[in-house]
Amino acid sequence: MPDVTLWNRFVNLLDAHPWILITFIAHFAILGAVAYLILLERWTASWVQDRLGPNRVGLGFGILPILKDMHMFGLGQPLADGMKFLLKEDYRSKAVDTVLFTLAPMMMITVVILSIAVLPWGGIKQSTRDLDLVASTSAETAPQTPDKLEEKINAYLPSDASNVTHNERVETHQDADGVWRQHLISTVTYRYNFQTASLNIGVLFVLAALSLAVYGVVIGGWASNNKYSFLGALRATANMISYEIPLGLAILCIVLIYGTLNLEDIVNKQAHYWWHFIPAWNIFSQPITFILFLICMHAEANRAPFDTAEAEQELVGGYHTEYSSMRFALFFLGEYAGMITTSVVCVALFFGGWHFPFVDSIVCWLVNAIASGMHWNIAPAFVDATNPAVTNSLVVCVVRALVFFVKSLVIVFVFMWVRWSLPRFRFDQIMNLAWRALIPISLGLLMVTAIVVFLMGGAAGQNQYLPISTAFVLLLSNGALVAITMVISTLIPPGPDTNRKILVPGSRFLTAPAAGGVAIAPSVN
Amino acid sequence: MKDSEVLVLEEPSLTLADQFYLPQVMFGLGTTMKHMLRVVVQGKHRVIQYPEERREDLKVEDGGINPSTYRGVHRLNKDEDGRVKCVACFMCSTACPAKCIHIEAAESPWADREKYPQKFDIDELRCIYCGMCEEACPVDAIELTSVYDIVGLTRQEMVFDKSKLLRIYDQTAKNEPM
Repeated sequence: MPDVTLWNRFVNLLDAHPWILITFIAHFAILGAVAYLILLERWTASWVQDRLGPNRVGLGFGILPILKDMHMFGLGQPLADGMKFLLKEDYRSKAVDTVLFTLAPMMMITVVILSIAVLPWGGIKQSTRDLDLVASTSAETAPQTPDKLEEKINAYLPSDASNVTHNERVETHQDADGVWRQHLISTVTYRYNFQTASLNIGVLFVLAALSLAVYGVVIGGWASNNKYSFLGALRATANMISYEIPLGLAILCIVLIYGTLNLEDIVNKQAHYWWHFIPAWNIFSQPITFILFLICMHAEANRAPFDTAEAEQELVGGYHTEYSSMRFALFFLGEYAGMITTSVVCVALFFGGWHFPFVDSIVCWLVNAIASGMHWNIAPAFVDATNPAVTNSLVVCVVRALVFFVKSLVIVFVFMWVRWSLPRFRFDQIMNLAWRALIPISLGLLMVTAIVVFLMGGAAGQNQYLPISTAFVLLLSNGALVAITMVISTLIPPGPDTNRKILVPGSRFLTAPAAGGVAIAPSVN
Repeated sequence: MKDSEVLVLEEPSLTLADQFYLPQVMFGLGTTMKHMLRVVVQGKHRVIQYPEERREDLKVEDGGINPSTYRGVHRLNKDEDGRVKCVACFMCSTACPAKCIHIEAAESPWADREKYPQKFDIDELRCIYCGMCEEACPVDAIELTSVYDIVGLTRQEMVFDKSKLLRIYDQTAKNEPM
């Protein structure tokens, strides 16, 4: 028997059913991070305003004797907030539609949890396992090779296992009941994706799931039976539907290059280097697409400067006006978890996902050196020379997942930074921005990318990545598109003046020339 | 209002950077990032960490208070013999815009004045701390101190009577002489 330490058991379990553990950890990481993101949001807000932010609530809550007087930078604040949400009265007005009112926050959080499933956390893990397939009746008789060997082996492997190779050997050892038997042992080498579900329509799935979030908003607003809520829900709908178009078109630009909707393929193909040191991330070849994507992400998340749906000053909170207690917290959770998910997708599409220059090699080298008894001169070797995403070390996978998460948190921080920097758009400005600016520009980008991919070829093939020449041409075409947009935008006529001044009879400013001229006599009553 | 009195302002025309909005967004993000770095890296913020830091301990330039001019809670001054200085002339309660001073006068037990306040109540919740009473007082008996953090669990507790006001004088007389 091989040495079965706790670590080996853990790795074996993971290799057999990777999705169980990955699902648990990814969900708890994302949903737990939400609480602390709210703290980060409040910190960001206060730093921008030269304040310090919450820094009082430690983890002692005034009860635990040792931690009682420790403030710990306010790290206990999220827990206190959560407590508050749980203990508050769950108020519901008589006029609400009970079923829908309950359903809306659930929908909001469900769609986000759905979309976490396809996020590619750690590239491809290659594993080698010994499978004890058949045992003979005694030490003398040889075990019978089963008819459907491949099928039998596959039953032991994760469902998305690929590149399966197997070698059979016969071993004789004593079983638990004391009888010596010959066992047919198969050494199987296989690869699986380090993620919950490997979908070949991953990008589409995330888009579809996240766009369902608007149902949570609309149903919540409608069921509240409140004018403000309903207005907020309406605005959110218009907002999300408008901005999904440029969002989809921006994603299409990436999809065109790689010829796949598979999120992990897109990430793995960015894990190369140009000139051995520039990571082959899409941000370098398609910066304008990234900016479009970022803008649309803000609109999709219904956050400032596109947060007309919950505009506190006009709508007293919009669609969640009537919600309180844990129901409200679920909306909050949905919003922030959605933010993380979209950030993860953004990182996957534009920043190479789990890939960070040389982190893989360094961790690989460290792991090899430690495993081989502190021999520091071993060169880091990848399992597959053509595909750097493949690794046989679980540590590398975990480090990759951490790198991915940290990168996403940086994007989330950008969300917050933008929120506390920019004032809110007026509703008509939002619509103008989408339909008169973003959609034409993203269509142009798509056309330009399509032409480049048609002329120079993309990176659709197996283990193929974007050549530097194509990337450079894409960068140039992005720049050219901006220049063309600038020229054209000065030529097109201005839109209808949606915010024009309306003449009010009796206004003292009426006769001012700027107000449009003719004096109207104030009505006498 | 006549036409000639109306000031018509021209809207400033947008520059190219303004029209494309994004450069200005970057500029704004830069400004906020500058503030964030100032707080996080340099530790320069505008927060006084009450109760550890108190305004009376800071310099006026740093947001501290000047005790000689600060208008906090009232006190009733005493004379050299330890008697209340007030002569119950009702000037302060007359001047008070919030009508928060209630005095009941009585025959003075002392030879040097006719009246003295038998009761002297100030409702600190009604008071707007304008300092009119201090201005009106002919004998400098009522004064505003620099004490600002007064608390109470009931409204009744926040109505300060004569003994309490005299006690505040005892507490603050050393730091803020008359």
